[in-house]
Amino acid sequence: MRKVFGGILGLALAGVLGAAGCGHNTVSAGSSAGSSSVGLAEPQVTFKDLQGASVPLVSLKGKVVLVNFWATWCDPCQAEIPTLIGLQQKYGDKGFTLLGVAMDDDGKSVVEPFVQKTEFTVDGQKRTMNYPIVLGDDAIAQKFGGLIGYPISFLISRDGTIQKKYLGMLNAKEMDQQIESLLSSAPAS
Amino acid sequence: MSGKQGSRRVAWRAGVLTFAIAACLGSVAGAIAARQESALPKPSAVVKPSAYVSLEPVPRGSDFEVAVVIEIARGFHVNSHTPRDPYLIPTTIKAQPTAGLEISGTKYPKGRDEKFAFSPDKPLDVYTGSVTILLHVASRASAHLGANRLPLTLRYQACNDSACLAPVNVPVNVKFDLAPAGTKGRAVHSEIFASASASH
Repeated sequence: MRKVFGGILGLALAGVLGAAGCGHNTVSAGSSAGSSSVGLAEPQVTFKDLQGASVPLVSLKGKVVLVNFWATWCDPCQAEIPTLIGLQQKYGDKGFTLLGVAMDDDGKSVVEPFVQKTEFTVDGQKRTMNYPIVLGDDAIAQKFGGLIGYPISFLISRDGTIQKKYLGMLNAKEMDQQIESLLSSAPAS
Repeated sequence: MSGKQGSRRVAWRAGVLTFAIAACLGSVAGAIAARQESALPKPSAVVKPSAYVSLEPVPRGSDFEVAVVIEIARGFHVNSHTPRDPYLIPTTIKAQPTAGLEISGTKYPKGRDEKFAFSPDKPLDVYTGSVTILLHVASRASAHLGANRLPLTLRYQACNDSACLAPVNVPVNVKFDLAPAGTKGRAVHSEIFASASASH
């Protein structure tokens, strides 16, 4: 009987320890999206925007940045765009920016019309995407640890450290908490 | 051992047992959540295609059908051949040009309207489980006699209930024997072709 109780207790403790690290949708080390980059410095990467201008990620240092990898063919990516528009609208003038990285193989020819013409309902109003969009590719995905599923987002603090990685649609309330927490930390000197 | 000690011990054990069960349930729930996040396969691993030819052998100069059965991994869907949203990538199959063989028609199954967690109000036109695409092939006099091969490319884009995988092209090789004109071909895999025809 004691052995049985000991076994159950052991399982329980293992379960508690195992479950302790399971956040709502925060991807942990060794996930499908490649080795975890959480806690590491943001990758040194330069994107191209839809006008062909270079956008080095480091140029956003000092801001809280949510890098959102998406594609026009990805339905859950489209479904979370109203949330992203809302975040940019709410925190865009408070030291935060979203950066949408479009992973479409056809690049600008398909992304630009989508960005310019597709309207999303945000708080009852029709809105187009209100945050910077850049183009991504496999090499860029590789620098973020190799990406398999979309949408996938990386929340980066003012000092350029990746704080969280989210696979799947973002939870607006959780994002509010995380962004506000990072915005309240001191800007990088 | 007094009665009091005995009842304390029983109460302690009951407490431990309750804690253990609760913790185990929590652990299982955590493990499931973690697995959902970490179990995304490579895009090419979501669909397993198999090809079947309607005649054996295929007499040169005759028409025959090829059934491409695609098995979609549980928990995933791919867009049908006719998704509603123009930005979504349809499932397609294309043949590489092969001497003496001509695809004269392709029939895709109808998709199913399904709602997902990311699209609770807007049903998507998708394939799930197992579906069959039928190709009508004409063999010409210039077709190579003997062991033959018709290379096809299946293109699809898969998602589960929360995330999508990149679109992918998967090769499908159709192998068959081509016999001289006038040879009688035996109808084979008739259950696959009958079932596929009924669903188109």
